[in-house]
Amino acid sequence: MSAGTRTAPLPAGPAAGATPGLGRDAPRRSLFGRNALTALVFLIPALVVFGVFSWWPIVRGLLISFQQTNLIDPATWVGLENFRALFADPLLGTAIANTLLFVGLALLIGFPAPLVLAVVLSTVRRSAGVYRFLVYLPVVVPPVVAILLWKWFYDPGHGLFNGLLGLVGLGPYLWLDSPDTAMVSLVLQSTWAGMGGAVLIYLAAIVGVPSELYEAAQMDGASIWTRVWHITLPQLRPVIGLLLLMQLINTMQVFTEPYVFTGGGPENATLTVLLLIFRYAFQDGAYGQAAALSFLLAIILGLLSAVYLRATRSWSAA
Amino acid sequence: MKLTAGLLGCAVLASALAGCGSPTPSEPGTVVIRVQGMPPATDKPGLDGFKKTVADFEQQNPGIKVQGSTSVFDPLTFSAKLAGGKVEEVIKVPLTEPQGLIARKQVRPLTKELSGWAHYKEFNPQVLLPLSDPAGDVYGVPQAPFAQGLVYNRDLFTKAGLDPDKPPKTWDEVRTAAKTISDKTGKAGFVHQSKNNQGGWQLTMLAYTHGGEIEREEGGEYVAAFNADPVKKALTMLKEMRWTDDSMGDAQLNDQNDVIKRFAAGEIGMYMGTPGTYRLAKMTYGMEDTDAFGIGPLPQAGGNASLTGGDVYLVPKSVSPDKAAAAVKWLLFAYAQPQYDPATAASRAKELAADPKSAVGVPTLPMFDAAQQSKIDEAVLPYVNVKLEHFRPWLDGTPALTLRPEPPVQAQQVYAVLDTVVQAVLTNKDASVDDLLAKAETDVNTKLAAARQ
Repeated sequence: MSAGTRTAPLPAGPAAGATPGLGRDAPRRSLFGRNALTALVFLIPALVVFGVFSWWPIVRGLLISFQQTNLIDPATWVGLENFRALFADPLLGTAIANTLLFVGLALLIGFPAPLVLAVVLSTVRRSAGVYRFLVYLPVVVPPVVAILLWKWFYDPGHGLFNGLLGLVGLGPYLWLDSPDTAMVSLVLQSTWAGMGGAVLIYLAAIVGVPSELYEAAQMDGASIWTRVWHITLPQLRPVIGLLLLMQLINTMQVFTEPYVFTGGGPENATLTVLLLIFRYAFQDGAYGQAAALSFLLAIILGLLSAVYLRATRSWSAA
Repeated sequence: MKLTAGLLGCAVLASALAGCGSPTPSEPGTVVIRVQGMPPATDKPGLDGFKKTVADFEQQNPGIKVQGSTSVFDPLTFSAKLAGGKVEEVIKVPLTEPQGLIARKQVRPLTKELSGWAHYKEFNPQVLLPLSDPAGDVYGVPQAPFAQGLVYNRDLFTKAGLDPDKPPKTWDEVRTAAKTISDKTGKAGFVHQSKNNQGGWQLTMLAYTHGGEIEREEGGEYVAAFNADPVKKALTMLKEMRWTDDSMGDAQLNDQNDVIKRFAAGEIGMYMGTPGTYRLAKMTYGMEDTDAFGIGPLPQAGGNASLTGGDVYLVPKSVSPDKAAAAVKWLLFAYAQPQYDPATAASRAKELAADPKSAVGVPTLPMFDAAQQSKIDEAVLPYVNVKLEHFRPWLDGTPALTLRPEPPVQAQQVYAVLDTVVQAVLTNKDASVDDLLAKAETDVNTKLAAARQ
């Protein structure tokens, strides 16, 4: 978890498979017994809330993707017309390519960064809490505030970055104002903003690595790098895998950064799939087309989530 | 016990959900309308004035209750409110939006209700045009109609050795002034908006002033018309200002808020905008030296035209006929009458002027004819707290221009395509204006063709 990711569940511990009452030895209960009825009654509020605020909007969105509507008059069924219009839009390809570019750059830049930082932080003995606090601080800054702050960092004229780089004779760079560097600029900010949570998770996992392994390696004369490569990384494999999937799912939905930083520009260089959905729905009033693209995105994210759930289960059981 | 607690939870949830949908209770026979446009609590004189208007209106219209809302049109919440049946009966939208809302049939024609007003036929046709559909039906009432002009920083003009009472009248003069400001003060001489569809919107202004157009009718269908000499000249001028003169500053991805914020901070010499942006600069972005605000007519290069602007009030199509009738009564009372009746205008201005933070007397286009506007201007003169002489060039120069509305079909989609063109010119030194316009023409024609299906 880093670029574009601000929350991630803690990896399930070994006890996750042994939830009381759900194991093989749990007493069998009737579906229609008094306990089941009580459970159902307690579940109703949650079911209603999920139904009204989650499931029904999802169903409605799916229906709208096959309709033409202005949200006032009765909607008309248009079959696959919205999907046809979607695939005829030259911006769809641009948005998909940009989203994949963001995902790729986030993997390249944003994914290793928290891992490296966590490994470094785990070796710090003095004032460790302060460093952890500093690393986590960006996560508590509201995203839009952070982005506006970075907008000033990136200002090609009076921005912080060009000012600092100018001191060593570099730049000035256009950052957000150039189609070549705009996406990288978004990824850098996104990595900074989302890294804290991942660092804490990695740190927690590193603490769980048995210290005997390091001691044995040290006695064998292993260097720090060898210890990290042969002990830390293999031990963190389940956590790394989980965070990787979480990051993929989150970065594919990147919206706030391009929306606030660049509005999708320059020259559509930062137009992402979610921003395109936003434009269809709220600038063009093409709700059907927006729903159709949302539906396609949901399928892709659903597949990724299925992989995530499967991986969680197997890694938890491991 | 568990069962009881669960049932209690369900009951609480059910009543909460029921509460979400229940309207505010009112006396039987009373029509309640919720209206956008109520000033926020931070604008105390404006809010007090609004409340007084509501009280006066309710006194004169006993069967109607008005509930003010500080929210303004936001495409996100508007769609959600429409879908949920919760949209206000009167919405306040910027003039870039009505044509899209009309085309999507999301707002209600009000011609029948408006024509019942004694002075309806005296409305300035130019201010109703952007609120009308091709058949001539009118959909709303403007609050403060404007024509786009050239806003400039009088201080920077003085520092650069330019005459602050003589803003540039042609684009050649703008280019020269921008370079002088940039060279002498280090600030951006001229800034053009470029994102969130506002690049395309401002390019439309440039096109009109160069004698060009964005769309034209061909065999009963609208097609892109911008791939022609006027827009090419306009974009070439922008490109030269950006890359040859280096007079447009460094940060180029700006929308209106970015530009006004930077202007209020004294960072920008000139931009295309309305007198209404004075309020934003002063009241939203805290411009301290408001005396530096100056505005002239939109500079020209053979087009002799400007684009209209400002805020307007519309009624969503979902509103019932009785509420729509009440909404129109409110609109005429609150926004049309004060622009027609000098006594009402004076009384409103007096209330607003009580707070020095307010902006009273910002000039607008005449909502009716010029003679009526003179009476209004005279009535509010004692309460004016803006430097009217700094608006004088706009007031004197604008009547000579033809006021043109936004492109008639799919304006926002066209603007989105043109955003890309403006961004390319401003961020890519090697951008080819001809290639950009040719591609944009193809893209826009595809969108216009899709809209016809």
